[in-house]
Amino acid sequence: MPETIEIQLKKGVLTLCVLALLNRRERYAYEIASTLSDAIDMGEGTIYPLMRRMQSDGQVETYLVESPSGPSRKYYRLTDAGRRALEAQTSEWRAFVAAVERVMTADAEPAPPAVAAEIDQSAERGAEQ
Amino acid sequence: MTRAEFMGRLRRGLVGMPTAAAAEIASDYEMHFEDGAAAGRTEAEVAAALGDPDRLARELRAEAGARRWDQEKNPSAAAAAVFAVLGLGAIDILILLPILMGVIGALFGFFMAAIGLFIGGGAVMVAGPFAGFPGGPLAAILGGLGLMAGATAIGALTAVATILLVNATVWYARLHYRLLKPALEPQAQA
Repeated sequence: MPETIEIQLKKGVLTLCVLALLNRRERYAYEIASTLSDAIDMGEGTIYPLMRRMQSDGQVETYLVESPSGPSRKYYRLTDAGRRALEAQTSEWRAFVAAVERVMTADAEPAPPAVAAEIDQSAERGAEQ
Repeated sequence: MTRAEFMGRLRRGLVGMPTAAAAEIASDYEMHFEDGAAAGRTEAEVAAALGDPDRLARELRAEAGARRWDQEKNPSAAAAAVFAVLGLGAIDILILLPILMGVIGALFGFFMAAIGLFIGGGAVMVAGPFAGFPGGPLAAILGGLGLMAGATAIGALTAVATILLVNATVWYARLHYRLLKPALEPQAQA
């Protein structure tokens, strides 16, 4: 079922997407939700459970900004742990995408042993997710 | 669905969570409706994009339950975590319940046995020397102490087994979160 694969993929990269968005600048939840909803067609409500989890995992922290109209607004920013998680997940994602690409274009030439080992690792990581 | 309907169902779903956390979650979603309105969307559009409030509430509660169990290992946190993840529907309760009942019954039996043995050991140690225990007073005191030590060991092992069981249940359920959980914890992968 291609739909299921797509959902699993989106679930897997959601944290990475949020980390990447917050690394560029601090945002409030509605911005994150609508950006990701446009980009990868994610349910907007999902962002709140996710932000709470990332907050209790220490990857993001919140602060309030006074608003001229209405109540003050809650912004999210990355912590140092969040930046480290972003680095780790980014390189993992890049390695995984490259490995999948190599598998899909494998008939060009046989992969050298070093690359083959990397594909194995990435495949294992993929299986865990 | 209107904003009031969505918020009503969400709030009902969050009953039982710590009040401060539930209020914070509710205000997050209220703010989302405000922002949506400011962006020119109707209440119905925003509510549809947010998704099912009952399911969101279940996931938020399960996350809070699992988090509490991470922080405090006590029976009430364990029960809360297990019931919260069962509420997700991630584990088929009809399949799990008979197994779970058997395991919980066995663990309960071990705990009771440990308590009984401890009390019995205490009685032998205290009353044995006066009641003509075979082998004399010293044997009675040592035997009683031995029984109490054995009971403590059984109790401790049972507690460890219970903690492992709850951890396994929470871990398994979190693997199967439908929209929240990208499988394993990111830290576990790194």
